[in-house]
Amino acid sequence: MIRRAALSLLLSLVGLPAQAGTVYVASQQGAQLTRVEAGKVAGSTSVAGAPATVAAGGGLVFLTHPDGQAITVVDGATGQVLRRLPYRGQAFGLAASADGRTLFAADWSGHRIDRIAAADGTLEASAPTGRDPAHLVLDRAGRLFVADRESHQVSVFDAARLTRLATIPVGTAPFALALSPDERRLYVGNVRSNDLTVIDTGGLEALATVPVGAMPYGVAVSPDGARILVTNQHAGTVTVLDAGTLALAATVTVGRYPEGIAIAQGRAYVANWFSDSVSVIDLATLQEVTRLTVAEGPRSLAVAAEPSPKEETR
Amino acid sequence: MRLSFLVLPIALPLALTATAALAHGPTPQKVSQSITIKASPDAVWKVAGDFAGIGKWHPAVAKAEGSGSKDGGTRKVTLKSGGTLEESLDEYKPEARSYSYRMGEPDLKALPVSSYSATFTVSPEGDGAKVEWMGRFYRGDTGNEPPENLSDEAGKAAMNTYFSEGLKGLKAAVEGGKAK
Repeated sequence: MIRRAALSLLLSLVGLPAQAGTVYVASQQGAQLTRVEAGKVAGSTSVAGAPATVAAGGGLVFLTHPDGQAITVVDGATGQVLRRLPYRGQAFGLAASADGRTLFAADWSGHRIDRIAAADGTLEASAPTGRDPAHLVLDRAGRLFVADRESHQVSVFDAARLTRLATIPVGTAPFALALSPDERRLYVGNVRSNDLTVIDTGGLEALATVPVGAMPYGVAVSPDGARILVTNQHAGTVTVLDAGTLALAATVTVGRYPEGIAIAQGRAYVANWFSDSVSVIDLATLQEVTRLTVAEGPRSLAVAAEPSPKEETR
Repeated sequence: MRLSFLVLPIALPLALTATAALAHGPTPQKVSQSITIKASPDAVWKVAGDFAGIGKWHPAVAKAEGSGSKDGGTRKVTLKSGGTLEESLDEYKPEARSYSYRMGEPDLKALPVSSYSATFTVSPEGDGAKVEWMGRFYRGDTGNEPPENLSDEAGKAAMNTYFSEGLKGLKAAVEGGKAK
């Protein structure tokens, strides 16, 4: 394990020093992947039709195509499309291992999770989820959390064996989720009950459910763990909560139908699906500082990992 | 084309069964329509701001009833073509002359979509008003190979028609000084 981690650290340092903190934006209708660096659009790449979710790992970027039965693999530094992995279902949610070798895809209409080799698309393991699995996250301890939208629960799996560890009831129609930087908390946005469930990842149980805005569709946590940011698709806003008290800290107006949200280098990036733009929010002032134009229908964002010794030794 | 006529009566009941359980899908589509009306925004809002009053101006609506124009308010809209839309308000903001709502259970007879949400806004434009009606929907069959009548294209056509005909009806109702 340690040798493997050291190798992936070496690879990430040697291969891609310049791109840490790069934000990747997937535009569904525009079928493009946009690279954003330091708050500015650095480039974009045409990809196969209707990408939904983007994930990053090991210097690579991955995109699901629910309607295209495929996952696209892109070089994170150049934006070049490297290969297309065929996928037997309707891939929606996606997570990549830190070394970029292993992918976890949620099959929306197949109600299952698949582990896939990023090199050639080989299906390594599969497990049933609840109804309509949406987004998923992988923690550093090797656990996978899946938002089962129509079962109103989060499924927790051992990522290596894809065995179920727990099933945690949450609000109505959970869709997006995010881990706190220390990974002790998992935050789950519930689309139809307009609230956020806080899960203790130690005890694997829900601690609290607090209201956010109308139709929460994206969740992110600030690097210091102090703030939780939730996009409200219907309200066109981002709700900022104090992570300690779960009280409302701010409401930031963004574009129309905001969906994905990601945080890099002191800024939050919000994909405004209807407005074809990305809102850039300064985390210090909680103000929108600029809005970047991207291809039609941005939905999802991913950040290239910044090498951190703590992460790599786990 | 002729083939689809043969296939339709068989495919439709199957698709109805399949999508009722899914109720949404992974790839949303946009619908967006707007119109300008020669009246003050307040005059337009007086007619359009009544959530359950859509039957007074939308030409495709046979009748509509509801529980009030407020957050969480609902309306049940029966279309002339058959089928009903049950919708609920997420946010009702009279000060902004805007409301957003979403559908409950899909009814493919009413609109060939499995789920939608929409926002309706009246704003000043010149010495008149501009009405924007935009939203996000999922096709009727959210599977990978939807039949033609439940595809993204079919959903787009139906939603855009429903919104644009509605706005034309609203314009006529407001400018003509009376509801239909």
